[in-house]
Amino acid sequence: MRKVYGIIIAMIIIASPFVLAGGQQEKDEGPVTLNILVESGGFQLQKEIAENFEAETGHTVNFVQVPYNGVYDKLTAEMAAGGGSYDIATIDVVWLPRFAEFAEPIDELFTDEVKADLFDTLIQDAQFNGHFVGMPQWANAEILFYRKDLFNDPQEKADFKAEYGYELKPPQTWQEYIDAAKFFTRDADGDGQKDMYGTDVKGAFSYEYTAHVLQAGSEGVVLDSEGNVIVDNKAHLDALKFYSGLHREHDVTPDSVVEIDWAQSQQLFYQGRTAMMEFFAHAYRMVPENAKIDMEDVGVAPMISGPGGRASIPAPWYNIIPKSSEHKDVAKQFIQYAFEQNALGIKAPLALAARKSAYEEYADKEGFEHFAPLLETLSAPQTMGRPMVKNWQEINNEALIPMLQDTLTGKKTPEEAVKWAAERISQMQ
Amino acid sequence: MRLSDKQYASALLIPAALFMVLFIVYPIVLLFIQSFQEVSIFAPNEGVFVGLEQYDKALSSERVGGAFLRTLIYTVIALGAEFVIGFAAALLFDSLGKKSAIPRTIFLFPLMIPPVVAGLLWRFILIDNFGILNWLLYWFGVLQDPGAISWLSNENVVLYSVAFPNIWLTTCFVALILYTGLQNVPRELLQAAKIDGANALQIFKHVILPLLRPVIAVVLIIRGIDAARTFDMIWILTEGGPSFASEIVSLQIYRTMIRYSRVGEASAVAVLFMFALLFFCILLFYSIWKPEKASK
Repeated sequence: MRKVYGIIIAMIIIASPFVLAGGQQEKDEGPVTLNILVESGGFQLQKEIAENFEAETGHTVNFVQVPYNGVYDKLTAEMAAGGGSYDIATIDVVWLPRFAEFAEPIDELFTDEVKADLFDTLIQDAQFNGHFVGMPQWANAEILFYRKDLFNDPQEKADFKAEYGYELKPPQTWQEYIDAAKFFTRDADGDGQKDMYGTDVKGAFSYEYTAHVLQAGSEGVVLDSEGNVIVDNKAHLDALKFYSGLHREHDVTPDSVVEIDWAQSQQLFYQGRTAMMEFFAHAYRMVPENAKIDMEDVGVAPMISGPGGRASIPAPWYNIIPKSSEHKDVAKQFIQYAFEQNALGIKAPLALAARKSAYEEYADKEGFEHFAPLLETLSAPQTMGRPMVKNWQEINNEALIPMLQDTLTGKKTPEEAVKWAAERISQMQ
Repeated sequence: MRLSDKQYASALLIPAALFMVLFIVYPIVLLFIQSFQEVSIFAPNEGVFVGLEQYDKALSSERVGGAFLRTLIYTVIALGAEFVIGFAAALLFDSLGKKSAIPRTIFLFPLMIPPVVAGLLWRFILIDNFGILNWLLYWFGVLQDPGAISWLSNENVVLYSVAFPNIWLTTCFVALILYTGLQNVPRELLQAAKIDGANALQIFKHVILPLLRPVIAVVLIIRGIDAARTFDMIWILTEGGPSFASEIVSLQIYRTMIRYSRVGEASAVAVLFMFALLFFCILLFYSIWKPEKASK
């Protein structure tokens, strides 16, 4: 028996140097392989940049592609284990507070020239404890999509003017939005079923509701700049009344609003079931093959305005360098290079960038009509990011989404819902 | 040195034992330890001992209580339907004899589909506004409006809806195990019962069921545990929504641990869940497999 144990122990001792050697990480000598954790959009938008980087520097870029939530899960596991699997991670802004303390400061990359070419909100969200920890690689925001064929139809225009007393045009205020939505909600073939709705309400997420909160004039979303809970202030309540009212009061949305997410909203619009939608700008160029409307039927306008002005919530993605990376210098070099070549992202199917100059360069070109509304929306004074707090996901999942869904289903009045959410979020603080 | 048979057997068991210690015993011990700690997922080795605080939090939380109740309801719905349909299918296959080979194979197809794929498939079937099921019911005149039933967004319906894919996916497994059990029922006993004048229902109740008890217990325990800890299908269908109406314990543990980074609280809920499942298994074992022990 002792002999058997002896053999096993000897095998472990013999194998251990190889195992340990495998675990040691490569040093920055000569060309290195950069591992970049991305979701599919991040890969698309940085693929060409990476190819150019490889050609110019001799380094290799290896994209580790995972689904959207996989980025958070994998990076969390990576941080928890203290491993060095990734040299760069391209992450959604909502995750930045969670990973900021594990990210390498990249202050030197934020020169005055770089800052001048970025939207203010993107610069603000990139900083933690006085250091820049992430470089925005692309920025997106919701703008207004509308059916150009319907809005430009002379008969529709005449009918609308007769009913509402003003010209039919892409709505730019809450009231115009409600009017247009009511006008286009109809049962055209008279079978008792509505064929088309004015718009949709995305009850599966709180993102769109929070944009309306800013339009209502709130100084922040859910929390003020000092971290006080303001989810029950007048702007949050007004926004909830407006947003839930589209479904409950005006009945201009498809049923089952609590299940409507990005995919459903897009599908409803491109299948001709809704006349308008608030959606991320990139969707303009992504008309599905099975769509019942053509690209020339799709019109875009800046996001609507509320009593507080025009606003949307920017949805940027940032490149960060995990502190555990063994190739921090090369990673910084890549991030700088990716920013310089940021406009290449516009050539990708998603057609997104972070630099103002990149968007401005293409704004007048055919096929990029959505850039002007996007620029106007992102530059609006009320446009700002969500609170950069570590427990945003918890606030969102445990309070904001239930608050919205309970209002949409009529379980709570808007007043009851914001009060409930304020109590719930206060408990989390 | 020559090894005795016992020593040789022990040596062969070492790799398996090491594997179990590393991947089963160690994680469970860690789970217990962390359930008494305040610990962040980003610093798992820096937990602070907080006694029973995490258990107190879990037991007094409406969200956790709700998740346990929904897990129980979900398991009863899924397991109940799987067992009834599976048993009926097994009896049918048994009565068909050799003719059942092809239908039996076809019936097993869903078992080969990964749960994630099944979840996606059922999402397309049940999804509001575009779901195939509602349109079929509308075309056949069952529904007046294709949006009449909100399978995935009605809080009163969603828990049943998310059980459909599970029932569809694993009923065949239940049928297969029960069919195997039926194959082992001595034919002489069935013939003797027939000669004694027993009808089909009496044979089923007094001969087949008692002989199948151990098989039924195994099926209920395995599938019960499996249904209770379902994650992927529900996550894909609803992510536990709307308003947590389809959130069962496994989803709650995942969200608390990974999304909210509260390892201690999630560990306490996981430990409670483990004991609840253990209790369920013991209950089934003594009430179905060995009912005589329970009555003593």
